[in-house]
Amino acid sequence: MSDESVAPDAPVALVTGGGTGIGAACCRRLAGEGFRVAIHYRSSEEKAKKLASELDGAFTVKADLTDPRTLDALIKELKEVAGQVDVLVNNAGYNENAPMLAMKLEQYDAVASVARGTWYLTKLILRRFMLRKGTGRIINISSVVGHTGNPGQVPYTMVKAGLDAFTKSVALELSGRDILINSIAPGFIDTEMTEDLPEEVKEAILAKIPMGRTGNADEIADVVAFLATRGNYINGSVLHVNGGMYGG
Amino acid sequence: MEQSEVMERVVKILTPWVKDETALGKVSMETNILDDLKVNSARLVDVVIAFEDDFDIEIADEDVDRVNTVGDAVNLISGKL
Repeated sequence: MSDESVAPDAPVALVTGGGTGIGAACCRRLAGEGFRVAIHYRSSEEKAKKLASELDGAFTVKADLTDPRTLDALIKELKEVAGQVDVLVNNAGYNENAPMLAMKLEQYDAVASVARGTWYLTKLILRRFMLRKGTGRIINISSVVGHTGNPGQVPYTMVKAGLDAFTKSVALELSGRDILINSIAPGFIDTEMTEDLPEEVKEAILAKIPMGRTGNADEIADVVAFLATRGNYINGSVLHVNGGMYGG
Repeated sequence: MEQSEVMERVVKILTPWVKDETALGKVSMETNILDDLKVNSARLVDVVIAFEDDFDIEIADEDVDRVNTVGDAVNLISGKL
């Protein structure tokens, strides 16, 4: 539990893929900032529920980003349980590692369908919560590899690059409103998702990081919290958080 | 609620977004919201949200796709009251 209890009418932050890795760090950090955190999960139920039990005002919501029907249901649940969503952190992602020529169409679709769900969920959150309230913050967790490319991750790099383009386009569509959307492009962050990268790829990446180390999830969550609570003149931007690996 | 009352409230809600005052002056059930009243299509969602709030209804995206004229809006809303 955090030191101070969260008010029942406190702003609500929805974090997709909030049960593990960067998402979990974001949930902890946002709860510390006084948000009621909706911890979304698809398969990490145990971790998400444990995290919710540790964070004052937090609760879990389940949905499959590849299934629009579950996202429609998620919106209904959020309306009933929280009544609002002030901050959306689009953190959930999916990756398949394989060389381009060995990659199957089904693997590409699996990666791309999560990105499609991110688009649809964002649309629903805007339509049902943020446009009505006239304010909101959307933070997309993309990746440095969407800018640099990465061998063995062609679909992943494509959807992450697309996510940053999504950020820029939506910011333009929302011009004149107090709804800000930005991307954070993490570099090489220690999470379960990056554990699977081939060792030679990890070594090659480390050699490119001027700070000489990988990042941790809390260092991404800090930037998420900043954009969620203070970055009031930042919109349509991609913030690179990568130890100097890539500056944009 | 009488259809005329719904119509009156719909026109009142639309008014802040209308760019063609002349068309607004002779508004009818056949008046096209985008083509005649020149409401910015990017702001149509704000109009729909205002409909929802004012009439305390929920309008699905599929329903919005079928709204072209003031009459379409009036009929859609009337059907939900």
